[in-house]
Amino acid sequence: MSPTTIGVIGLLALVVLLFSRMPVGFLMALIGFIGFGSIVSYDSALSLVAKDVFAVFASYNLTVIPLFVLMGQIAFHAGISSRLFDTAYKFIGHLPGGLAIATIGACAAFSAICGSTNATAATMAAATLPEMKRYNYKPELATGVVAAGGGLGILIPPSVIFIVYGILTEQSIGKLFISGILPGILLTVFFIAAILIWVTLRPELGPKGPKSTWKERIASLPGTVEILVIFVFVMGGLFAGLFTPTEAGGMGAFATLVVAIVKRNIDWKGFVQALEETTRISAMIMVIVAGATIFGHFLAVSRIPYDIASWISSFNLPPWAIMSIIIGIYLVGGCFIDSLALIMLTIPIFYPVVLHYGFDPIWFGVIIVLVTQMGVITPPVGVNVYVVGGVARDVPLHVIFKGAMPLLIAMVILTFLLIPFPQLATYLPSLVK
Amino acid sequence: MISFLRIEKFVNALAEKVNWVASAAVAFIMFLTVADVIGRLFGRPVPGTFELVGFVGAVIISFALPYTSVRNGHIAVDVLMMRMPWLVRVIVYAVNAFVSMVLFGIIAWQSVIYANSLMASGEVSPTLQMPVYPFIYGVAVGCGMLCVVLFIEFLRQFRGAEIE
Repeated sequence: MSPTTIGVIGLLALVVLLFSRMPVGFLMALIGFIGFGSIVSYDSALSLVAKDVFAVFASYNLTVIPLFVLMGQIAFHAGISSRLFDTAYKFIGHLPGGLAIATIGACAAFSAICGSTNATAATMAAATLPEMKRYNYKPELATGVVAAGGGLGILIPPSVIFIVYGILTEQSIGKLFISGILPGILLTVFFIAAILIWVTLRPELGPKGPKSTWKERIASLPGTVEILVIFVFVMGGLFAGLFTPTEAGGMGAFATLVVAIVKRNIDWKGFVQALEETTRISAMIMVIVAGATIFGHFLAVSRIPYDIASWISSFNLPPWAIMSIIIGIYLVGGCFIDSLALIMLTIPIFYPVVLHYGFDPIWFGVIIVLVTQMGVITPPVGVNVYVVGGVARDVPLHVIFKGAMPLLIAMVILTFLLIPFPQLATYLPSLVK
Repeated sequence: MISFLRIEKFVNALAEKVNWVASAAVAFIMFLTVADVIGRLFGRPVPGTFELVGFVGAVIISFALPYTSVRNGHIAVDVLMMRMPWLVRVIVYAVNAFVSMVLFGIIAWQSVIYANSLMASGEVSPTLQMPVYPFIYGVAVGCGMLCVVLFIEFLRQFRGAEIE
């Protein structure tokens, strides 16, 4: 069998066996090992797995992941997420759909210290769903907003997906982070607009809440400014070149811990729980990275990425058509596979094509983050919808999927805006050296 | 069957203890990077931070692997399996657990060989002159422990079949 044939069999086997519920990272490592062994030799495959696993686990650049995850976990255990919501709610809770808008605002603020879409969705679901229920918000609106709001977690830095994308493509993680800021703010605005239109059409979804006085509003602010301070400190230090992304993660986690201790919001037990959650999330991510690395070595020796790249070029399609096909593949893939796994799997294949057609790598990073974030709220495998469903056990999954639809439209609009106006993503990073 | 439950409980508790090492290691690299950054401001960075953070990172992930599996924490696609009759599920899960066990057995075994070869060649890190092989043994320990967790998961499928 030619290497290409083995490569094709390997890819097909991966796609089919994913549905066996074997962990995605394990499966990629397994097929990568068998495939590499059949093309090169099993002796080299045996030493490859051990070397790849150690190289990934001991990578200095990847230790940024546990550190940024820890930062978000400490913030969660210190109750910062619910205080963010309280503040937003005191300001706009009296508007129709105001609580839902406050939820989006709190998601955006929380994502400034949390790098994961699922973690943002889970955290905000726990903090906001009971409140929205109390004010007779329909579950459809309440759960849909939280599920989609998690997507901000990964667009607004820090972002685990940007870290992994940056390492895979050798792009600057700092530049990728900064490229997500403007689209992240825009998406927040679009989400709010979507909610406003939605509640105007169907006022019964989100009735008005009580109005807070200005005194109460001002009083709620001190619980939230520290987020802004930490964000500016961490991102500022990163962009000014004062620290590496890993150091930014360490400093950010430490600063959040110090604030939480000073304000007596976290105790020893909370800190230990934050550490334990961090190890779990990090292991979950790194197993996928390690599996994808082994699988990537198999793909490289199978020459599939080159074959696909030259196959695509042979059609002589205009660049926008190529990009549309790639986006379409991510959209469909994102409906079935976890976004991180999807990116790890497809970047080695599509990235050379994207470069060949002269697309900006940073811009492409923002596009695939957006597109895969649509995947987490579309059936059948919408990870964020499952996460929110896990918190709101009385709400059926299809209701959450339906509730996330209006916000999905907002994401589609933003994606279409980014194609003619790539500056939305590339302007800010171009200012950084 | 009571004995099986006891073994399962013991393995899970052990995985949790191993995970504590990972938790402590996360806290360690946080404090280490902070000490290094602050030290640098005063012209006295902590030497070897770069190497140490990477090596300890390997300990974090490999020691967190077993307990993450115990808590079903790995990302998997379950849309199809959720809709399958229990017998299909039990068989597929048993095969999955067994195959994964073999895979991590291989990784653990090869890591020991890799570590041995680096020990023999006396490979050390550039700044601290610290040997690299103990950290690879660490990966072997974590993957070996995961192997045991997966073996228990494999056996549990048969138990599930018996109860049905």
